[in-house]
Amino acid sequence: MSEQTGKQLSKEEKDARFEAELLPVLDPLYNFAYRLTLDEDDANDLVQETYLKAYRFFDYFEQGTNAKAWLFRILKNSFINEFRKKSKQPAKVDYSEVEGYYNTDDVEGENGVATTTDMRSESVQDLIGDEVASALNTLPVDFRTVIILCDLEGFTYEEMAKILDIPIGTVRSRLHRARNSLKEKLEKYAKTMGYNS
Amino acid sequence: MESKFTEMYQKEPAEEKDGACEQVADMLDSVVDGEASAEQQTFFNSHIEECVTCFENHQKQKLLKSLISGHLKRVIVPASLAQTIKAKIQESI
Ligand SMILES: [Zn+2]
Repeated sequence: MSEQTGKQLSKEEKDARFEAELLPVLDPLYNFAYRLTLDEDDANDLVQETYLKAYRFFDYFEQGTNAKAWLFRILKNSFINEFRKKSKQPAKVDYSEVEGYYNTDDVEGENGVATTTDMRSESVQDLIGDEVASALNTLPVDFRTVIILCDLEGFTYEEMAKILDIPIGTVRSRLHRARNSLKEKLEKYAKTMGYNS
Repeated sequence: MESKFTEMYQKEPAEEKDGACEQVADMLDSVVDGEASAEQQTFFNSHIEECVTCFENHQKQKLLKSLISGHLKRVIVPASLAQTIKAKIQESI
């Protein structure tokens, strides 16, 4: 049936491998695209373009190597080349709105209120998610990117260096600055949650 | 840098407080990301056992990371996206 002539794959083999190895990355890839573009339609286009490129260059992808990192790298490059200029500006959720909601809740007050907050209650969890997201979205895209790659997707520094085409030292320093920046944005929230800073 | 850690570790951490705290601060990201070397990790652990400030900074850094990994909502992939991708690929051949 299918002859194994070197690296040349039959179309069927290529399609099968593409589906088995690359399509499972769709979820994290779409999430990454969304965090970069902050727009669902742009994320959609970016992911489609990434997969089309990946298919075209599939012969260069070494089986058994990190498919996720490879796709993230293609997506990042596509984003820089085509989407960056036209991508819409951050802050879909108004940070102060979320903050206001917080303060009108029973969390109100100056001191000692945090202890009454139950971290496990569902509404608080939702709020945390929204607030973290909106704080993250206000960061410059380079900062957002390293935080997503590291904390959400669990890439190593070395993988991040490859995805972003920067030295590991730059990964470290960028991540450090990104976190400081995020920390600043979350400071108020952190205080509300009762961990002193 | 490596040898400095060893030096620090061998001395009394309390006596080298400022220098050690600075070193520990520089290691914070590597430690929470699991990227610290065994040597760095040992130095770090022994320091935060004695230094409240660095202990707290470590807690904060861990919390910050967990806020992203645990509380950032994932967006739902449109149901039709995988099919669209496959169809576009077949068209493009
Ligand atoms: Zn210290």
